[in-house]
Amino acid sequence: MPSTRFDIFRYQPDVSDEYYRQEFSLEHTEDATLLDAILDLQNTQDPSLAVRYSCRSAICGSCACKTNGKTVLACTSQLESLKSEFGDDRLAVDPIGNFTPIKDLVVDMEPFWTKFKSVKPYLIPDGPPPEKERIVPKEAMQKIERESACILCAACYSECNSLAADPEFVGPAAFAWGYRFAGDERDGQRKERAKLYSGDHGVWDCTRCMYCNERCPKGVEPRDAIEKLGGIAFQEKVTRDKGARHAKAFLISMRTGGKLNESLLVPYTDPLGAPLDISFAAQMMAKGKAPSPIPHRIKKLKEVQGLIKNVKETI
Amino acid sequence: MQQFAYYPGCVAEFSSKELNATTKTLAPMLDIELLPLPAATCCGAGDIAEAKPNLYLTLNVRILSQAEEMGVDVLTICNVCTMNLRRANKMVKEDPRVLEQVNEELVKVGARPYEGTKEVTHLLWYLATEEGLSKLEAQGPRGLNGLKVAPYYGCQLLRPSSVMGFEDPDQPQSLERLIRALGGEVADYEAKSKCCGFPIILARQEVALKESHVALSQSRDAGADCMVTPCPLCHLAMDAYQRKAESLNGTEYNMPVLHLPQLIGLALGIETSVMQFKRHMVPTDNVLEIVGA
Ligand code: SF4
Ligand code: SF4
Repeated sequence: MPSTRFDIFRYQPDVSDEYYRQEFSLEHTEDATLLDAILDLQNTQDPSLAVRYSCRSAICGSCACKTNGKTVLACTSQLESLKSEFGDDRLAVDPIGNFTPIKDLVVDMEPFWTKFKSVKPYLIPDGPPPEKERIVPKEAMQKIERESACILCAACYSECNSLAADPEFVGPAAFAWGYRFAGDERDGQRKERAKLYSGDHGVWDCTRCMYCNERCPKGVEPRDAIEKLGGIAFQEKVTRDKGARHAKAFLISMRTGGKLNESLLVPYTDPLGAPLDISFAAQMMAKGKAPSPIPHRIKKLKEVQGLIKNVKETI
Repeated sequence: MQQFAYYPGCVAEFSSKELNATTKTLAPMLDIELLPLPAATCCGAGDIAEAKPNLYLTLNVRILSQAEEMGVDVLTICNVCTMNLRRANKMVKEDPRVLEQVNEELVKVGARPYEGTKEVTHLLWYLATEEGLSKLEAQGPRGLNGLKVAPYYGCQLLRPSSVMGFEDPDQPQSLERLIRALGGEVADYEAKSKCCGFPIILARQEVALKESHVALSQSRDAGADCMVTPCPLCHLAMDAYQRKAESLNGTEYNMPVLHLPQLIGLALGIETSVMQFKRHMVPTDNVLEIVGA
């Protein structure tokens, strides 16, 4: 029988305010999961060890935690493959990141639910309800299929770099749900949703660190959903946010020269703030980093201009 | 001589010219011939994808098709270009219907359709293999003289691994391998693959500078003489915006940041004037002194 050593984050607020770590060792079957192990430790070594779980089969979204720094669902992660992945027969186990622990591996999920609710994660159709059910073509549902698979486990929040820097960032799963409804052809709130999801702590806060896509155990790829919400914002002409203006500067550059026009990017993104930042601009200039006012022009720019005119978006 | 279609990306061509110049000097020393792509556009840096996803895909496939016409793979020196080009490549290679739709658009404007036969690789990936390392060794490097280097990967050369796939995104080792092969010491720290904040540095500056703080402060605390990065966008965030990050976060880093080809160039003895360290915002004098350049 294989055995594994564990180094587990502990927090027992009834006993002490201090976080500490505890070592355990456990014999287990070849195919045991991290959740099996935690429950076994709870049953045989320390009944106070707290973990949140329910279905044990990647549906309920309760048991996300970190092992050796990587966020996983405990119920789908087998100990033997984790150990070979990390080349280590000891596994560190921690609660998910970017949340406050309330006991051992259990964190306070309240901020997650508040953000989730803030995106209005339900269908808001226009007009009165129809007499019969609405039949949606298969292709229309396929567009939002990935996002519909979310189990709200918050693994995508655990290592989100924007969230770590801005605790109010609405975040990946909430926006995946945002797109799941904004992209649903039965929904009547596309523009309102685009407005709701822009602004401070919204879609334009995402720093594209790609941790959410990397960690999601269900292939939801929340970063891609955020990208599509950006696209919807453009379709609905909700483009006043500095993030949207930044993207617009790229589109203008593409049309006028084919390459990024750096002298446009800063003033166009932040027309009010940029002129105030003269000392930084001067420093950049002194280092030869001042962009040329004459935009670069690639060969065959006409092809690109044609594509900009022709290509239709299908978000 | 290994030929590549060279895609330096906009930042290396404009505000970080030192990277482009160093790469062009380095390439022939390593038996690489860089062929220009005069009709290639910007990859969109994720911004075009965020505004018009289908347009992003079509523009990037157009670039791939130009390389295909030349009969060579694409070589990049930027994380973001690499990810955008590889992602587009994956999208059309995996779904022939998508490739067909994109090609219809390309043909309509007189551009060459893409057959889906080319690959995109980053200079780091090319060099961090046994073949690449042996090419470095063949140059008889004078070495980095124990320079303590903090490898900084950033995000998009590692994640999403389904698109990038060169190495384990949670335990990358390519930069470490190169640093050691060049006679440097590795300053290890946790945040080497966290975000530099660059994509939102103009739109959400405070958030971005809190992000860059993590890697800058950790590399400083690990005792690094400098950082090295394979991405010019990371370089701008870490170097050009370093003083701003210091004042926002109330601390000092004084961390010189080198582009990957500059680090290699130092070890191989490329003239420092060619590598244009003067264009950096954070002085690199201590680095040049240790290496004896
Ligand atoms: S998007 Fe993925 S990682 Fe995020 S909550 Fe949903 S299932 Fe979990
Ligand atoms: S890509 Fe955006 S939403 Fe996803 S983890 Fe990174 S910052 Fe957060």
